[in-house]
Amino acid sequence: MSLATMNDGATSERAEGLRLLRDSAVQFTARSTDHKRTRALRETLPGYDADLAASMAELGWCGIVVPEAHGGLGLGVSEMAAVLQELGKGLLAEPLVSQVALPSRVLTLCADNALKGELLPGLAGGEIKAALAWQEESGVIDPAAATTTSTGGAAARLTGRKRFVAGAAGAGGYLVTARAGKDVGVYWVEAGAPGLAVEQQWRADGTPAGVLSLADTPARLLAGSSASAGLAQALDEAAVMVAAELMGVLSQTLTLTLDYIKTRVQFDHPIGSFQALQHQAVDLLILQEVSEAVLGEAAALLDDPDTPPLERSRMSSRAKARLSEAGLRVTREAIQFHGAIAMTDDCDVGLYFKRAITLAAWLGNADAHRRRFMALGRQK
Amino acid sequence: MTTQDWNAIPDEEFRRTIADFCARNIPAELRGLPNRVSWVKAKPWYLILSRAGLLAPAWPVKYGGMGLSPNKHIIYLEELDRAGAPQMPDHGLITVGPALIMHGSEEQKRKYLPRILSGEDVWTQGFSEPNAGSDLASLRTEGRVEGDEIIINGQKIWTSWAREANMLFILVRTNKQVKKQAGISFVLTHLPQPGITVRPIRMIDGRDAFNQTFYDNARAKLEDVVGGLDKGWTVAQSLLGAERLWAGSPRHALKFLAVLERTAEAAGRADDPVYLDRHAQFVMDVEDLGCLYRRAANSMGEGGRGYEVSMLKIWQTELSQRIMQFALDIAADAGALGLGAAPEDPLAILHSYIESRPPTIYGGTVQIQRNILSKNVLRLPS
Repeated sequence: MSLATMNDGATSERAEGLRLLRDSAVQFTARSTDHKRTRALRETLPGYDADLAASMAELGWCGIVVPEAHGGLGLGVSEMAAVLQELGKGLLAEPLVSQVALPSRVLTLCADNALKGELLPGLAGGEIKAALAWQEESGVIDPAAATTTSTGGAAARLTGRKRFVAGAAGAGGYLVTARAGKDVGVYWVEAGAPGLAVEQQWRADGTPAGVLSLADTPARLLAGSSASAGLAQALDEAAVMVAAELMGVLSQTLTLTLDYIKTRVQFDHPIGSFQALQHQAVDLLILQEVSEAVLGEAAALLDDPDTPPLERSRMSSRAKARLSEAGLRVTREAIQFHGAIAMTDDCDVGLYFKRAITLAAWLGNADAHRRRFMALGRQK
Repeated sequence: MTTQDWNAIPDEEFRRTIADFCARNIPAELRGLPNRVSWVKAKPWYLILSRAGLLAPAWPVKYGGMGLSPNKHIIYLEELDRAGAPQMPDHGLITVGPALIMHGSEEQKRKYLPRILSGEDVWTQGFSEPNAGSDLASLRTEGRVEGDEIIINGQKIWTSWAREANMLFILVRTNKQVKKQAGISFVLTHLPQPGITVRPIRMIDGRDAFNQTFYDNARAKLEDVVGGLDKGWTVAQSLLGAERLWAGSPRHALKFLAVLERTAEAAGRADDPVYLDRHAQFVMDVEDLGCLYRRAANSMGEGGRGYEVSMLKIWQTELSQRIMQFALDIAADAGALGLGAAPEDPLAILHSYIESRPPTIYGGTVQIQRNILSKNVLRLPS
């Protein structure tokens, strides 16, 4: 067998695996979507349904991006994105990225084997939840900007404040970025560690984001100066995963909107027969297709081990910028299509609108990623 | 070189091969020209490509084409653009050729395809009429069958290169008894001929690349009907996908983006925050267009329905217009100088600004594309 046909074989095997994973996510979403529950979960902790999270773990989704050596499936961004895109349609994706995929990737890329062995199998099985605490200022998405300080080397003590920590509620521990001199490293802080206070702020959609106050809090060093490359890669991957969830949110919103304008009658006609609305709907369709094309290329490019880091970061920023903007636009225009009813809390469109606002901002909004993309330099 | 299996070559090697060929062979005086060039000027480059077997990237190998996959075809076009290859009169290559390959008889293919490749025939298109623009199917130019001939009466508009071409493909109504799409034929004939009058149209860019053509008992042979009598609408429709894919290529937007960048540079605005913000959005819009373009090209290659191509056309043409609107703002007073008034002034960009306008019109306006998508993809009620 030639190398080319072997690759084709591996490729088609992966495509088949992807299809199966997507199918099971489609079924899960059809079965589990329940916006009475979505509403009931708002402003509660940990912000998601524990039984649903357990079902996702049973389906193996917590281990998708965890290496096989540590009890995971050893798959990539494409597989994670396929699942998240479907779950996004039902507003069901929490806490797959915040407490599972993102911390798993940071650990995989930054930690030593001992800590990986300690934490990754539990993350892959759904028994352990963790969260990454890296941001301090609104709108700042450069991990090197951290001002939280670390003293004392491997058995470190951290002091500082972290904000916008998605998945902080119910996490067994935190991956915290902190500065020791010039280097920004990643540290593991157990939940309940001395000097650690965790407060919650509600995000637009009623899910919580933590504010971590660290005062001489004991921490274990994962990686010091060597952390930056792994952290950058994990964040690039997670941004594409969030973009995938946004893809699900926006496509489901468009579906709801099209269904509505086909049936809502005013002036004796379905309002979807009015050309002004038709053309606006087509513009959202085009945005959906562009977004999907960008997301597909981004996932494939991030899964390609030959992709240079710079190109990976550029592509990730493009995908997050595109999907953040598209998610916001489709959901806000969906309100206009529905009219006043969509301003009521009983209308599901509002749930998608607020989820889009939450996800668009998380891990960097369109503006932040446009700036980063241009700062990284254009291709060619 | 003509019998080579281009698709078996790795992408990067293929890219280098085309780039090297262009670097060595494009005549200096034809490089980097802003407009399509006339046939007389373009012919040497056309023949260079032809002799090397590199003229018809999308045609199957057995008809003298390169038989490129969609992906290789995109690389081919990117490298020609990068090298500044001129845009030539190419209706033979991109319209008549594919129409014959898809719908022509063996005899028609044998007769006409080699003459396109050799540059012997230059083709012009007679589709639109004064009262049949976006609503092309309502065309009224009549084709009356008389013995083994078709007698043509009526008028056409936007007939490009009608004064340089020696061959015409034209849509005529050969049956008035059936619904409008079912009575149209796709006919080939030659020009000049006594029954055809050509009148140039001066455009707002000062050029007269287009014409009106008048038919007064012009003649075509019945054997030169492509795809069967009254079956011309199918032939024309099968060409529109390729035309819209072409119209949706990021290469157009990239060209306008380069104009914007040069303009900002010349105006001293390249570091201005307002410019940087909008420029960043344009750059990402163009790159993301590339993703949709690759997906559409591959889907066409797999025989897809081609609706993505309508989306591509809307996105590309409107993006190009937004880019040039901003460029005109930046060019300010110099941007308002007349065509050709200040050929050395990099801010005198009126020509490019005007050039960005027609793509939202030709090949079916963007509004008609939205109607098509609304009806066929979104299934919205009428």
